[in-house]
Amino acid sequence: MTVTPNQNNMKQSILLTAICMMTVPFLFGQKVYQTFKDTRVINTHSTEVLEKGQMDIRIGHRFGDMFGDRGGWPTFYGLEQAEDVLIGAEYGLTKDIMVGISRTKGSGPLGQNVNGLVKWRFLEQNAEKNFLVSAAFVGLMSTSTLEANDEGTSVTAFQKFSHRNVFHTAILVARKFNQRFSLQLGAGLTHRNLVIEGDDNDILNFSASSRIQVTKSFGLILDAAYAVAPNITSENGFYPGLGVGFEFETGGGHVFQINVTNTSGILATDYIPYTTSNWGDGEFRLGFTISRQFKI
Amino acid sequence: MLNQIGVVLFIVIGFFMVGSPSLLDKTPLSDQSVYDVHLALGGEKVAHEINPEIEGVSAEKGKELFHTGVTTKPNGDKTKKQSKHFLCTSCHNSVQEDPNLSNPNPEDRLNYSRSEGLPFLQGTTMHGVTNRRTFYNDDYRYKYGQETVDKVKTNLRESIQLCAVGCAQGRALNTWEIESILAYYWSLELQMSDLSLTENEQTEIELALNEREGQAEALELLNQKYLQAAPAHFHDVPTDVKKGYEIEGNPENGKLIYEMSCLHCHENGRYSYYSLDKESLSLKHLAKHFNKKNSPYNSYNLIAKGTLPVVGDKAYMPQYPMERLSKQQIEDLRAYVSQ
Repeated sequence: MTVTPNQNNMKQSILLTAICMMTVPFLFGQKVYQTFKDTRVINTHSTEVLEKGQMDIRIGHRFGDMFGDRGGWPTFYGLEQAEDVLIGAEYGLTKDIMVGISRTKGSGPLGQNVNGLVKWRFLEQNAEKNFLVSAAFVGLMSTSTLEANDEGTSVTAFQKFSHRNVFHTAILVARKFNQRFSLQLGAGLTHRNLVIEGDDNDILNFSASSRIQVTKSFGLILDAAYAVAPNITSENGFYPGLGVGFEFETGGGHVFQINVTNTSGILATDYIPYTTSNWGDGEFRLGFTISRQFKI
Repeated sequence: MLNQIGVVLFIVIGFFMVGSPSLLDKTPLSDQSVYDVHLALGGEKVAHEINPEIEGVSAEKGKELFHTGVTTKPNGDKTKKQSKHFLCTSCHNSVQEDPNLSNPNPEDRLNYSRSEGLPFLQGTTMHGVTNRRTFYNDDYRYKYGQETVDKVKTNLRESIQLCAVGCAQGRALNTWEIESILAYYWSLELQMSDLSLTENEQTEIELALNEREGQAEALELLNQKYLQAAPAHFHDVPTDVKKGYEIEGNPENGKLIYEMSCLHCHENGRYSYYSLDKESLSLKHLAKHFNKKNSPYNSYNLIAKGTLPVVGDKAYMPQYPMERLSKQQIEDLRAYVSQ
């Protein structure tokens, strides 16, 4: 059926009206609060930062593959395995800057990682000031503390200390459209100081994340990360990281999240370069994050 | 002869002018402080007059502590924040919040707060606190224990300290800080113009001041015009939370209470981890909790008893005594969030 110009105009008008209705609550009023409930969506950082003087203790866990060659009943659908574990603490230095330190098991070749984080929210969505989005810069550095091995050509030979380091930086831009829906887009660069021959030191990456608030304390979160580099292709066995999760806020400073994702690594320095699990093959896993905030 | 009469008249008139303080030395009653009039009528001094021997005392510093939680020490250094969780203004106003000080009630206070743009809070205003005789009255003995309340009941300084450490869950105040806050409170003392006096009542007090007669009656009249002690009686929780207090609620008033009271602490997590806003998700969540049976987070329970601190943190929600939020107003709030 051919769509006539009039119908086109009407459809455009309806779409425009719908967009305006969604955004009108945020065209007038104060700073927007809680674009996301937590400083992470699933894996990707959100534009949220901790308040000044607030400490966040975090524990994250990714189980093994639910299905596929390494999943199923033998591993009790991955629950008997731990692909990655994160234990860390983060702190709000100022109202817009937070820092953090964590230890992760690591799911890629670099493991026993000590990670340092800095996040700077340089823009806060505020209708009165005509800021339509929030934006943040994230910097992450991971250092593997694995014992160096004797294999000279391995990435874990660590012939220099700098070979242990992986860096990730990203710019995130998010908008809270209304009380029920937030969307974030991000672009970043992940740099590994040492890679095997033929691999890419630098990986450009893009992310898209979303929150759909179902009730005041329960939300649905979605996260996608796409790596762009000559070697990071599906032909070479690499896949975008995709996750879906459920987020519960208890109201007492706890945010609890349960998610399903194909990424094994929790941090970007891990999952951007090393996601080789494919949703289509059942290589996704259950994960959870517990976050508890304290005023220091 | 006429000249002599004129001189005599002049002397007589002059005698009355000089000898009559009511004609010469007359600060209008409305410009006088209630405490000064109280003393002039033979009333007792209060125990919390400022101690001038304490170094570093400043009403300005007291005001800073009250409104921001920090000030500068006498040596110029900044003090530590009094509390990580609260300011005094989280729970207390510093201005008049009742239109008629002799008949404070939550209904009139809500309308007055709306017209004056004041938050509608659980704690009594500090305006006039130095005119009161007792503190942490009535049911506060259940919250803090009889022993604690007995120590502070007639002592405003100790009450300030209990508020700092107990209510605000913050650090203990130094002596100069307490005295500075007290000095600030004295700047908020009641003035005669704050009281609702009829012309006759005003005349009675003026006569008692000037003529030195009927002072006891005038003092009694004066004491009836403002609170000597802020009463505080805690609500009971309805037995059947679905039925509530079985009073029809007015959602218009409920909206005022939500915006002027609940959101004062909960908006965007201002003083609480539990954040609320004006959106439907927040209202629905509260409405659901009015109906929640057997839960410490039932809204009736929270209003009547407050919350305990969450594990690992000290902040909590203080309750609303009946004198600060009536049963009618609780049902008004329920009617609003349940729309």
